[in-house]
Parts: sequence; structure tokens; C-alpha cells
Amino acid sequence: MPPVTTTLAVIIFVAGIAAGGMGALLGLGGGIFLVPFLNLGFNFPITAAAAISLTTVIATSSSVSAARAGKQLINLRLGMLLEVATAGGSLLGGVTAQLVAQSTLQRLFGATAMAVAIVMLTRLQRRNVILDASTDPGVLGGRFHDQESGGVVTYRVKRLPVAIAASFVAGNVSSLLGIGGGIIKVPVLNAWCGVPLRAAAATSAFMIGVTASAGAVIYYGRGQIVPVLAAAAVLGVQLGSWGGMQFAQRASSKWLKILMAALLMVVSGLMFVRAAH
Amino acid sequence: MTRLERSIARVLQAGVWASSACLAAGLLLSVLHVAVASGLLQAGILILICTPVARVVISLVEYTAARDRAFATLTAVVLLELMGSALAALVFNRKL
Repeated sequence: MPPVTTTLAVIIFVAGIAAGGMGALLGLGGGIFLVPFLNLGFNFPITAAAAISLTTVIATSSSVSAARAGKQLINLRLGMLLEVATAGGSLLGGVTAQLVAQSTLQRLFGATAMAVAIVMLTRLQRRNVILDASTDPGVLGGRFHDQESGGVVTYRVKRLPVAIAASFVAGNVSSLLGIGGGIIKVPVLNAWCGVPLRAAAATSAFMIGVTASAGAVIYYGRGQIVPVLAAAAVLGVQLGSWGGMQFAQRASSKWLKILMAALLMVVSGLMFVRAAH
Repeated sequence: MTRLERSIARVLQAGVWASSACLAAGLLLSVLHVAVASGLLQAGILILICTPVARVVISLVEYTAARDRAFATLTAVVLLELMGSALAALVFNRKL
């Protein structure tokens, strides 16, 4: 763990801006970039890196969801139901993170980063699934006005057990590694459970605050959140994701996704190399 | 916007602003070596962590008021899990 200096706080603030900006452009949280930056670049123990990252995840989730509430994209009922699974997974992950070796966490991060990269590359062309507006959404489904097509999208939730299982895994990985976990939930909700992409992303972002909170409190109790550095990271990520969202509407994300997938593969490799030492 | 959505938006917005203000002030003052800085930073982090918890509490209250048994139960379970995390935090901190 490097000594806490003003310079380090400034570096983390700038890294937060970059991570938050890339996160907003790609529809991810910034954690998947921030954790390896701190762990590989500055020798932070992975638990301390995850602790700082989780605070930024909470901040992003809260501010994004506050802005989106009432626009029907967030499926509150589905979110609250799946939160039972993510919060449980997160509690378990937070405790596990304190008990396993650093190298195990690095290997897990390496595997997750590789999976994220592959998911990113295989879903380059994904757009919203437009469904029949006359469908009955049922108890858990939803209905929202889609800006892209100009129509009303109505959907039913299918294969609920799959969504619950994915949420549990996402919660678990979230507090083990300090990432939001949306990268696990969103593709599953979209591909198997009938939730349109934008609704899946908004609902996942909404749930992530509770997920990260369940994990962050354990790191906080263990004294692993360095206040000055967490503050710098949170403010940086907030600024970066605000900036990223200004561009997200018009930016072509295809090449950005390919670039980031390549970067994540490098991160994955480095994590495995570091774990072996 | 439903009543629940309005309350949720309000709680999240307030939490974000309050914690960001504390963190920004704390960061600035700690660079200047002012004594209150660490208190402000701690407050900022605690407010941040508690914001989603407050959102679950508000949802529980609203679902209970609307007599929505199923969702009141679900949010109560989430709240219990969050308390479980807090308990784990206390155990790791050797307070228990």
C-alpha cells in the first residue's frame, strides 16, 4: 500500500474521471478499470482497491438512478425482487474477500475481466429488442417510451430463476472484486429474460447501489476504505460519468468497445501474471 | 411519476448531494491540513454508503402503506441482508 499523499489523491481523482467517463460511454461502471489501476499500477492490496471502487459504484448508481426515476426505464418491482439475490450474494462476497488470499482474488479478477471483454465483443451490434406494445406486462414486466423507435415498448419477464441466479452471482462478484456487477446481469436479463437492453441497464444500475452498499460496509468496518482516496475517486468518477454521458448519445461506441475489450484482456493477463508471483 | 418513484428520486438525490459536499469539503480541507477534514470525509463516506439503505427503507414504508404484502416482504428481506452486512462489519472490526 503506497503512502497517502496529495499527489496520490490527485492521481486517483484523474483516474476516477477517466474510469467514470469510459464507464458512461460503455454503459459500465468505472470499477472494472479503477480496481486494476490501483492494484497493478500502485500496489494497493486488491481489498483496498475494491473498497475504494465500491464507494464510487454507490455514488454512480445513486446519481444515475435519481436522474432516471420516473422515466419508466427502471423496473422497480423487478429491481427490488432481484435485490434480494444481489444483496445476499454481496454479503457473502464481502465476507469471503476478507478470508481468501490476494492471489485468488487476482485470478478471479483476471477471469472476470476476460469474460467482460468477450461479452463486450460478442454484443457489439446489440440494440433494443422491440416487442409488441399490446403484450400484458404482468406483475414484473414493464412498459416504457422508447426514444430510438418512438414507440412504446412492453415486455414480460421470462425465466425468473435465471435472473435471480445471475443477480446472486453478480452481487457476489461485485463485493469480492469491487465492481458493480452490471456486466453480468444486463446481458443475462436481455438475452434470456426478455428485458429490453435499456430497461435492463437502468434496472441493473438501480440495484447496484444496494449491492455495493452491502459490500462496502464490510470493507468500511475492516478499515479498508482510505477516506481521502475514496473521496478523490468518488468525486472524479462522478465528474467523469457526467462528462461521459454528454457524449454517450452520439458517440459511436463500436471501436471504443473493441479498444476497451483489448485493454481488459491485457488487464486479465497481468492479473494472472501478478497472481503467480 | 408514482409516489414511490418520487420518494426514491428524492432520497437518492439528497444522499448524493450531501455526501459529495462533505467529501469535496473534506478533501479540500485535508489538503490545507484543517482539523475538521477527517470528520467531514467520514461523514461523506457514511452518507454515501447509507443512501441506498435509506432508499430500501423508504420503499419498505411505501409498500407497507400501499398494503403490497409481497413487495413489503421482499424489501424487508433486503433490509435484513443489509443489516447482516453491517453485523459482519462489526465482527471484522472486533466490536462484537
